[in-house]
Amino acid sequence: MKKAETQARELIAEALMTTDKEIPLDIRFDQSERWDSLAHMRLILAIEESMGRSLVTREILEIESLASVANILAKNS
Amino acid sequence: MTTPWKQGQPVTLETERFRLAPIRPQDVDEAYVAWWNDEEVQKGLNMPVRNWGLPEARQHVARFDNRRRFHLGITAKETRERIGFITLIREGHGRVQTNSVIGNKDYWGKKVVLEVRGEVLRFLFEEMGAEKIISTVNARNLPSIYNYKAQGFTCEGILRDHAEWIEGGRVDMLNFGLLKSEWEAQQKSGEAS
Repeated sequence: MKKAETQARELIAEALMTTDKEIPLDIRFDQSERWDSLAHMRLILAIEESMGRSLVTREILEIESLASVANILAKNS
Repeated sequence: MTTPWKQGQPVTLETERFRLAPIRPQDVDEAYVAWWNDEEVQKGLNMPVRNWGLPEARQHVARFDNRRRFHLGITAKETRERIGFITLIREGHGRVQTNSVIGNKDYWGKKVVLEVRGEVLRFLFEEMGAEKIISTVNARNLPSIYNYKAQGFTCEGILRDHAEWIEGGRVDMLNFGLLKSEWEAQQKSGEAS
C-alpha cells in the first residue's frame, strides 16, 4: 500500500501541476484549491495510463482523495 | 446582488466573477455558434459537431421559454464576454434538470461551473421552490463528474452501456441528484463550494 500511496501522490502532483511535497496525504478533491475539474480529468487519464486500462465507472466515481487513488492502484497491482 | 425573480420573468443572477441572463435569439453570435461546432466542447455532451450557423443556433435558443425551460448565458464580468451557458428544465414534482457548457476554453479549469451553479442552486431551491436538482452525464465526462461530486450531488444510478459513445463503442450514463435538504445541510455546515 505504501508503494501505491507514493505512486498516487506522484500522479496527483502531476495532475495538479505541482510537486509531491505540495500534496498532503489527506488531500481531498473538494478541499484543494489546485484540484479542479481539469486536474481531475488529467488525474484519471494518468491513472488509466499507469494501469494500462480504462477505469470502470465505479472506480471513476471513487476518486476523491489520495487514499482512494492509492486504493485503486493497489487493487490493480 | 441578485434581481428578485417572479414566475414568468427572465432569470438574472450574479456571482463574484459572472453574470447570468437568458440568451435570446438576438443575442446569438458567432462565438455561441462556434461552441456547437467545436469537437472538444461537444464531446463533453457526447454529441458530434452540429454544423450549425446563426439560424440554427437562434432556432435552438428560441425553444427556451423562460417559464419551464431556461437557457442562461454566463458572462464574465471582467471582459463582458459570454463564455458559456447553463440550461435549466423544470420537470414538475419540484424537479429541475440542469446542464452547463463552458464554451470558452480559456475558462476551463477555473471552477466556473462551481461558482455559477452554486448561485443557480441557491436560486432554484430558495426562489423557484425546487426540491431536487438532477442531471445526467456520460461516464467519460470527467470534468462534469468532478463538478457534480464537488458540489455535493450524489450519483444515484449508473445506466450501463446506455449510449453510443462518440469515440466508438458504448458508454455508461450517470444520474446525479441533489436534494434541497442536502443543499440546506451543506449551507449550514459551510461545506458548499
